[in-house]
Formats: sequence, C-alpha cells, structure tokens
Amino acid sequence: MEKIVIGHFYPDLLNLYGDRGNVLALAVRSRLRDIEVEIRNISVGDDLKEGDIDIGFIGGGQDSEQNIMSDDLVKVKGPVIKSMIESGTVFFTVCGGYQMLGKYYKEHDGKVIECLGAIDLYTEGEKERFINDTVYEFSPDGKSSVTCVGFENHSGRTYLGEGVMPFMKVVKGHGNNGKDGTEGVRYKNTFGTYSHGSFLPKNPEVTDLLLELALKRKYGEDYILKPIDDLGAKEAREAALKYIETGKEQMI
Amino acid sequence: MRNKIAAASAVIIRKTLRLMGKGATTLPGKIALKISPDIIRSKASGKNIITITGTNGKTTTSHMISDMLNTLGYDVINNISGANLASGIATTLICGREEVKKAKGDSKGLVYVLETDEAAFAKIAKPLSPKVCVVTNLFRDQLDRYGELTHTRDLIAGGIDGTSATLVINSDDSLVASLGIGREDRSVFFGMDKKALISYEKDHPAKKGIIPPSADAVFCPECKVRYEYKARTYGHLGDFYCPSCGRKSPDPRFAAIYGEEGNPAFEGYKFSIKDTKNGLMEEVPLKIPGSHNIYNTLGCVAAVTVLTEKMEGEKEDHFEKACDASSEVKAAFGRMEKFKVKDKEVCILLVKNPAGLDRSLQFVADSKDTGCLYLLLNSNFADGKDVSWIWDVDFESKAEDLPENIYVSGQRYADMNLRVRYCGRDVREKGDETHMKEIFDKALSECPSGKCVYILPNYTSMLALRAMLVKEFGIKDFWK
Ligand SMILES: [Zn+2]
Repeated sequence: MEKIVIGHFYPDLLNLYGDRGNVLALAVRSRLRDIEVEIRNISVGDDLKEGDIDIGFIGGGQDSEQNIMSDDLVKVKGPVIKSMIESGTVFFTVCGGYQMLGKYYKEHDGKVIECLGAIDLYTEGEKERFINDTVYEFSPDGKSSVTCVGFENHSGRTYLGEGVMPFMKVVKGHGNNGKDGTEGVRYKNTFGTYSHGSFLPKNPEVTDLLLELALKRKYGEDYILKPIDDLGAKEAREAALKYIETGKEQMI
Repeated sequence: MRNKIAAASAVIIRKTLRLMGKGATTLPGKIALKISPDIIRSKASGKNIITITGTNGKTTTSHMISDMLNTLGYDVINNISGANLASGIATTLICGREEVKKAKGDSKGLVYVLETDEAAFAKIAKPLSPKVCVVTNLFRDQLDRYGELTHTRDLIAGGIDGTSATLVINSDDSLVASLGIGREDRSVFFGMDKKALISYEKDHPAKKGIIPPSADAVFCPECKVRYEYKARTYGHLGDFYCPSCGRKSPDPRFAAIYGEEGNPAFEGYKFSIKDTKNGLMEEVPLKIPGSHNIYNTLGCVAAVTVLTEKMEGEKEDHFEKACDASSEVKAAFGRMEKFKVKDKEVCILLVKNPAGLDRSLQFVADSKDTGCLYLLLNSNFADGKDVSWIWDVDFESKAEDLPENIYVSGQRYADMNLRVRYCGRDVREKGDETHMKEIFDKALSECPSGKCVYILPNYTSMLALRAMLVKEFGIKDFWK
C-alpha cells in the first residue's frame, strides 16, 4: 500500500477562508484510492527535515497571525523549504503562503517584509482589495486545458520574474495583479495561487496532479493514479460558473 | 432643539411606515441621526441600558435577558428585530416606548436591552453610556466583511473605554477575556468551572476529524507563543494559559458546572451555576438546548445579576432570582425554534459562521429526535460573498452521527453538497434556491414520524425559508 505524507504548515495560524479544505481534498482523494495518508502539522517550533513530507501545504493568515509565524518560516524553516522546492518536493501554497515564497512583500506604506526567496517573484500591497469569484484556465500539460473556479481575497499584487511561469490564466477575476492576466505561479513542483478555500476540493484535476507528481517522485515515473468519483466537484464548478455568468456574483 | 426635531421626525416616519405595513426598525433612526448626530446620547441619557455584543449568541442572549428582566418585574424595550447598528438602536431609543414589554406585576422600572453589532459598538458605546456591557465571544465571522478578529477586539475595547460600564465577559475566550486586562475593577467574568470542565472533558472526549478545525486566537498576542489548554469546550474556548507570560483564563465569578445526567443537546438538561463571590449555587434547566447555550444562559444570569445589583443595590439575592428567571425564557427568531407539522417537528438553527455551523452540526448529531438534516447556503452580500468558510468547519468528526437523510439547497447548494460528500456522507436530494420548497417537502415527508427536521440556513436563506414557511403553513410570526 502506498503512503503519502502531507505537511500542513502552521495550521493553527494560516487557516483563512477555508484553506484547510485543500488539505482535506488531498487526504480524501488519496484515501479513496486506498493510499495511506499521514497529515503532519508543522507549526512554530516544530522540526522539519528534507524528506519528511511528500506534499507541503501553506495557507494564508490574518496579518497578526502571519506576524507570529513569519520569523519561523523565513529564518528557521526557510533553508529546508527552499531546498525541498529546488529538489522537486510538491508544494501547494495559497495567498499569504504563496506570497511568502517570493523575494519580498512591500506594504502600501513602504515597509518591506523579507520573504523566503524560493521563487523569483515579489508582491506589493495596495489599499484596494480584490474580493471576488474567479474563473481560470489551467493547462496541466501545455495542451489540454481545464476551467477552474475559485474565490480570491487579497490586497497584494504579485509580479512574476522574467521567465517564471504562472500557474493559470485569468478568465474572470484579478489574479496575480489585475494587470497581466496571470494567476499564481508554477515552479518545478511548487504551485502558488490567490484562490482560497475550496480550490482543491472544487478542482480535482489540480488535486490529482499534485498527488500524481508526489507519488511519481516517490514510487517511480510509472506510477498512475486510479480514477475515482469527483464527489460532486464538477457540479459545484458548473454551478459556480452559472452563478458567475448570471451576474449574481459581485465584483469588487 | 435639534434633538427634538430629530426625534419628532423619527416618530412621524415610523408611524407612516407602520401604516404602510413596514417594520421601520432602522429608517427612522437613520434620519434622526442625520438631523442630529447627537440624538443617541440625548435619548440614552439617564436610562438603564445594557448592551450585548460578540460574534455568536447576541440575539439569543438579548432575548433571554429581556425575558428574564420581564419576569423580574422590569419593563423592557429592546431591538429584538435584529436592528443592531446605530440606526436601529437610535430607532429603538426614540420609538421604542410604543413596544414596551410590560413587567409581570408592578414595574420596577424600564431597561433598554440592546443587541449591538461589534463595529457599531465602537462608535455608539460612549453616547449610549450603558450600565452593563456583555461580550459573548469572538470568532471569525465573514472575514471579507468584518476584517481581522483582533481588530474587532480592539474596536470593542475602544467602545468600552468611552463608558464606565461594568463588563460582563467570557473568561474562557482568550480574546474576550483580554478586554478585562487593565479594567480589572469593572470586569465580571463568566465561564466554565475549571475543575468541572477538566473532568467533563475526560468523561466526554471530543471526536476528532481528519484535520483539526481552523482555530481562532490560539496564540498569546504578547509572547506569540501557543496557548496551552487544560481543557476545552469548543473552538478556542476553554481553560487556557500562556506558558511564557502566564496569562490565563481568569477565574470566573459566575461558573457553570455540567450536570450529572443527560446531554446539553436536550432541552431541560440540568446544570449548575455558582456565584463564587457570594458562595451560592443554583441548579438550572437549559431552556435552549445546545452545549454553547450553557455559555449563553450563564452570561445572561451573570448580566442580570450584575445589572439588578447596580439598579437595586447589592443586598438582595439577585443571583438566585436571576437563575429562577432563566428557567422561563424562550428561543429567539431562527435560533433553535421548533414548530409542529402534524406528527413531526421542524427546527431552524441559523448558522452564519464556522463556529455557529460547527455547534449546530454537533447539536444535530447529539439530538435524540433528529429525523433529517437540511442545509441551506446562500451567498448574498448579507451572507458574505465567499462560501469557503464551510471548509473551516469540522464536518468529519460529526459525519457518522448525522442523520441518514441529508438534503441541501440555496444558491450555493452545490458547494454544500460537495462539503457533505467530502466528509464521507451522501446527499439525498439537492437543488438550488428555486427548489428550496420542494426539497423541504421531501425532507418533511421522509422524516420519520415523531422526529424532527433540522434546518440549518445561513442568513438570507433563512429569510427565504421563513417566508416560505409562513406562506405554506400559515404560521404567523412564530419567531416573535
Ligand atoms: Zn504570553
């Protein structure tokens, strides 16, 4: 029986807008395939060694809570996380967790917060928040594409460095910065997005891609995921798209 | 002069709107505030006022306090229709006299019981200058609308500092309890009896889901160190302490002790309340079931005891009377109200945020009379546009205790369906808000006789549900 270890970073601090749904999606879709799952909570003061986890998840937090963990993330765990990202460990990061992968976060009053520097991107805070339903186009292999839905709520504007690949294309919503049509980042097996909460539950193609990447790394390139039921994810996505198309959603 | 014109205008507007069949709970006050921004201070001056704020339990607590004061011989005016912003409170102060709930027996005086929105409290606490301020708890609540939780705490603290009110606050909620720091001489705490809580937790260990529910406020803001808990009730509430600075949940003056028998999910569950200041202890029945309503009942007994002490002096046995009065209260609109349809019952539990949904699911899982569960999820502005919060709730730990038949509806029924499916349960019937009625009918017909259909709607789906029930069953004002 295969086993997967999911590292849930700072679950007691970075847990905004239903971000734990993403960890749940990874766990449930593994268990439905009879893959054993271990969820390891990795918070302030907890140990982290390379090889401890197969998939890492870092969510977003409120400012006061991000302040509590940012030293631990950047200074203590930073070097290990960077080396894991470089060597191809799968990471899925949302909002604050995504921003922390970049070089820095510049608040709108000019204060600069140093980040991990794992990926060539940076974020600038602005007063106006982007809060709305989102639709994206995701192309896992560069050919076929999947329509994904989500919900964004962020004041940071993220800019990707030269040659850095976005995770998805914005169809509706603001994405990284509201200007260049990009959403999130993909670097090796690490993904970042501004889409909160039920992103992985609602977009099982992405969840399965993350699982497959992690399992292939662990059990060899031949590893193939068993197909399973989507638990109503596609219906939820269709309903969200219909809701957005009929203008019931509110773009702020 | 301006205040007189403002008040007179409000009264006329209210009368006109009422003639048109409108509730007019906010507009008169809104206009009065435009004419005279000073109107709240002017109207509140010299009155007996108690405010109730916090994330969950505001309406239940306000309703209970009103009922209890009524029983104790006070006339009561309140903003029970939920108009808890400045405009609604101004309306209540100006026009409330026509809706006095008369005391049973000779009146001892008039009390204004005002449910107050957390952000509104910051602005109107000073002009209101209440005698007592109750703060129930602080949980994440539509963060897209309210912002950070610590910010909400600071808003309440700012409001308090404009008054000389006595604070009746929850000792088990680290955020609420911190309001007492630096205000020790006027803080009265209510919470679970610490010893009783530890032994209760040992005998009733909480079921664990796959991953812990999203936590609020579990770090000491001073030391940035995780609180340790000797025991927990739910969410971040419990007997906490900071291993670094030693800050801990205060010893409450009013402490609840779990009953020997039964389950807090049952109406009439007997538990005890201690008044440690006077060395008194009373057994009280839980009139509104649900373990979280132990906190609400306790907060009400604390608030009424403290308020009557302030108004009548400390000599009488106010605590005992408050406990007696608490056994005569009824549930508020959309909060645990039940009504009969032939040989079945229907119960509505309004759920607006993760803590509320978590408690309501636990209640349904614990109830003996559960026939089926109907979840309604909308995402209008008043609900919050983002429905991701349902993923913050630990469905997994309750999944196997939820009833066999689960139904979902509302604008975001498909999100709720997905949430239920993820916890390993199937959904019997689902459909968007246009199918709300037919799914309700199905749930009711499939509910075993003698059992109850538990409906958990969020705010605007509750309004739609209520309108449907009133039309279909001719149940007039069952929420009043
Ligand atoms: Zn401390």
